[in-house]
Amino acid sequence: MGCCLKRLLTAGVLLAIASPAFATNFFLTVAGLGGEPDYEQRFALLATDMDKILRAGGGTDRVIETLKGPDATKAKFEAALGRIASQAKAADVVVLMMIGHGTFDGTEYKFNLPGPDISGTELATQLNRIPATRQLVVDMTSASGGVTAALKKDGRTVITATKSGTEKNATIFARFWVESLRDPTADTDKNEIISALEAFRYAQTKTAAFFTEQKRLATEHAQLEDQQRAAAFPLLRFGSAAAAINDPAKRELVSKKEDIENKIDALKYQKDLMAPDDYKRQIATLLLELAKTQELIDK
Amino acid sequence: MRFLCVAGAFACAVLTFSAQAQSLRSAEALWKAHDYKGASTEFSNLVKLDPKNADLRARWGELFLERYNPADASALFQEALEIDPKNSRALMGMARVLADSYSGKAKEAADKALEFNPKLYQADELKARIALEDDNQKDARAAAEAALAINANAVDAQAVLATMDLLADKESPWLEKIARNPNKAQGYETIAHFFVINRRYEDGINYYRKAIEAQPELWTAHSQLGVNLMRLGRAGEAYKELELVFEKDQTGDAMTGNSLKLLDTLREFTTFTTPTTILKASPKEADALRPYFEEQMKFNIALFEKKYQYKVTEPIQVEVYPNHDDFAVRTMGLPGLGALGVTFDTVVAMDSPSGRPPGEFHWASTLRHEMSHVFILKLTNDRVPRWFTEGLAVHEETATTSDWGDRITPEIITAIRDKKLLPVAQIDRGFVHPEFPAQVIVSYFEAGKMCDYIAERWGEGKLLDMAREFTKNRPTVDVIREQLKIEPEVFDRDFLAELDKEVGNTVKHFKEWTEGLGEVNKMSRAPDANKDDLIAKARALELIYPDYVELGNAYMIAAKACLAKEDKQCAMDEYAKYSKESGRDSDSIKQYAKLLDEAGKTKEAEAELERLNYVNPLDQDLHSKLGALYLKSNNGALAAREFRVLIALKPLDVAGSHYNLAKAYFAEGQKDKAREEALNALEAAPDYRPAQKLLLEVSRGEGTPQ
Repeated sequence: MGCCLKRLLTAGVLLAIASPAFATNFFLTVAGLGGEPDYEQRFALLATDMDKILRAGGGTDRVIETLKGPDATKAKFEAALGRIASQAKAADVVVLMMIGHGTFDGTEYKFNLPGPDISGTELATQLNRIPATRQLVVDMTSASGGVTAALKKDGRTVITATKSGTEKNATIFARFWVESLRDPTADTDKNEIISALEAFRYAQTKTAAFFTEQKRLATEHAQLEDQQRAAAFPLLRFGSAAAAINDPAKRELVSKKEDIENKIDALKYQKDLMAPDDYKRQIATLLLELAKTQELIDK
Repeated sequence: MRFLCVAGAFACAVLTFSAQAQSLRSAEALWKAHDYKGASTEFSNLVKLDPKNADLRARWGELFLERYNPADASALFQEALEIDPKNSRALMGMARVLADSYSGKAKEAADKALEFNPKLYQADELKARIALEDDNQKDARAAAEAALAINANAVDAQAVLATMDLLADKESPWLEKIARNPNKAQGYETIAHFFVINRRYEDGINYYRKAIEAQPELWTAHSQLGVNLMRLGRAGEAYKELELVFEKDQTGDAMTGNSLKLLDTLREFTTFTTPTTILKASPKEADALRPYFEEQMKFNIALFEKKYQYKVTEPIQVEVYPNHDDFAVRTMGLPGLGALGVTFDTVVAMDSPSGRPPGEFHWASTLRHEMSHVFILKLTNDRVPRWFTEGLAVHEETATTSDWGDRITPEIITAIRDKKLLPVAQIDRGFVHPEFPAQVIVSYFEAGKMCDYIAERWGEGKLLDMAREFTKNRPTVDVIREQLKIEPEVFDRDFLAELDKEVGNTVKHFKEWTEGLGEVNKMSRAPDANKDDLIAKARALELIYPDYVELGNAYMIAAKACLAKEDKQCAMDEYAKYSKESGRDSDSIKQYAKLLDEAGKTKEAEAELERLNYVNPLDQDLHSKLGALYLKSNNGALAAREFRVLIALKPLDVAGSHYNLAKAYFAEGQKDKAREEALNALEAAPDYRPAQKLLLEVSRGEGTPQ
């Protein structure tokens, strides 16, 4: 199961690598109302960090907007989503990240903003107006699990910091989500792209470790519905992995490389059925061949 | 009953009395027949019928106390005393509850029981026991003799007198009397208890065996026998004894059940053995802890063999518990703190670093402390007063590495201010029967400082001389007189004067410091606070109480203020002081190491992160950072250690970790291992280019990986 899922995810990431040449990535980060100076400062700082990271990331196909402090009002939030709706095309990618406090009354989720809050239903209405078919919403507020039902839609991936609307404590997931985009170790498949899935796993693991280390009962459990789709969201690129794919002179080598990669995947799938020494010998041969092929591509 | 009562008050009283007497007999009979639940129900009914009867409640409390439920027993004794404050049975019951938990108030309760019933020899016996636990032989003897004057067969009194002889390695005439006593099993059990609390576990085990021989169904002795066998690492026999109690004594006390669970947990532990060490740890963290624990165990053995001129002939076993509750089972029923580690002969049980919030627990200090016990207890054949072995162990925590160990805490400062330190002749009492909540911690500190003082004034070797003198079963006052050539009172006076030189300023200005720390913490949270002002105020507080490195400490506040004004040198100065004073907050030390590395001081940065391995060796980020520094300084062996541990901790970045390990092996010249790790990295991420390059380099057998 693990092997098959990984192969599917790999395919998803490759799609994501190919798509940015034609698509624009819209990033909107909103840091909501803190309530107390400490939270106010913390939320704004996280949003600022996220903004800096996104702007420093590779590619020109990005539209980045960040709302925080007094600017993060419902009207400005809706206006920003409206701008994306008017600019984005079906092939584009939209990533909305929400940091702050949220509430859930058993029926409706609300993201706390200066002035009127925005509800999950209102947010869904705004997002539904955006023609981009690939949308990622990362709601990192308390009670954010309460928004999942309202935002459910084909092509939209929703990550929440809590598993339900009843996890009401202030969350720390956002801290590690931002950190994931700064830490190269989050790129676990080493393709020089941090996908939404990799960022999620990083933040989820670090959040869990935080509570374990502090000997505290975990008050938040991050959720992601569709791992395959999350793997297809390239949040941040920091290398030149996709460059060679577009070079006609190296097409044969690229094809050979893909062939070896497929063999490696197939071999890994068989691992549990093989004698360990036999597997080790075969995987070593293939990995060495792949390395040599990559060396030729890079020349 | 209510129906009958309408017939008339006199008839009602007679009938009620008669029914009560019958019911009480029934309760006692059920108790004797081991139907404890039935007996308790009968007592409950009796109390409902006669709610103002203090004796009934006290007797019911005794049932709870016998059935290992001191909380309910205590509540019933308290209820009885509310009805009749002079009820000696309830007072005695309360004294027993307090004594079982080593409360400093137990003697007071026993005295009160005697006040209202001077013939209550059990209260005298209890007083004798309490006094002997404090090593107060004079009072112990007097109380035991008082009990025997009332009842010549008072077996606990006989046992206390016998114990005093046995602990002094003398023949005891009282053993013969106990052997003829119908309650001899109880007497042997009491002797065993004293051997155990004096850390003479083998002797304790022998006396528990004698108790069982005298009364095979004495389940408390079976339970204690099992627990003490477990303490000495004899799991098989321990399990049999405990299981027997669990089956025959309706599960026995909490300690029995918990010890059985602990033995089950221990079976799952991973064991690493060398000729001199045995390390047992949870499979989840065993591989990660092993390099650091084994290194420290071997270092400590070499250190103490040289220092104490003594060789422990058998391997020293260290058990590391990730679940504090499991570790706590190890210390149940023992006096003293035992909060982090405990030693039984050559077996050390301790909390794992994962059993505590990070930064709170310097496991290597605890290990050194406990291993000092192993050597000193072996060297002295367990004949050493508690204050000396604990004080010496605390002394050892910082003797070799000054930034280890615990620093003086606010509660200790308060105790010094309030003149609550005990004279050396009485300090053992502070460990066993604390009279205020922090007294055990204060006693550890005081004993440690006394050993520091002795080492400083008379030389480190004097501590060993004293240990050898204690082996002859000499009392503290005699050893002080003979070895230090001063009277104990003079020792106390000189010691306090020296302590005052060290901490007097902190004690004197403690209130000012407390208020100041609150103020700078408040200032540090205000974004517009003047950073120079904040740094100056924080530095003034550092001078008052330099040892304070806990939450909200002045060093970290000043360091952050320095960073806010982008003065890295200023921040490094603060972090340096913090580190020197044994500050252990992971984030702060990592920040300091980063600044050092940026300033080109890689070795110093490595040393700072290395310190954290003694605090939180399960921190993946730490190993990643430290491994990278070692790679930078071309120390392949240590880099490889760090990345091996990182991999054992199952990091998210599997490929990156294996690649770094490959680089470390490559730097070390171990090309085969480097190749294997590069392949492991690529198996996780086949397109990982740096790992591909390294694989090609290693496969060609030339060049240096980038």
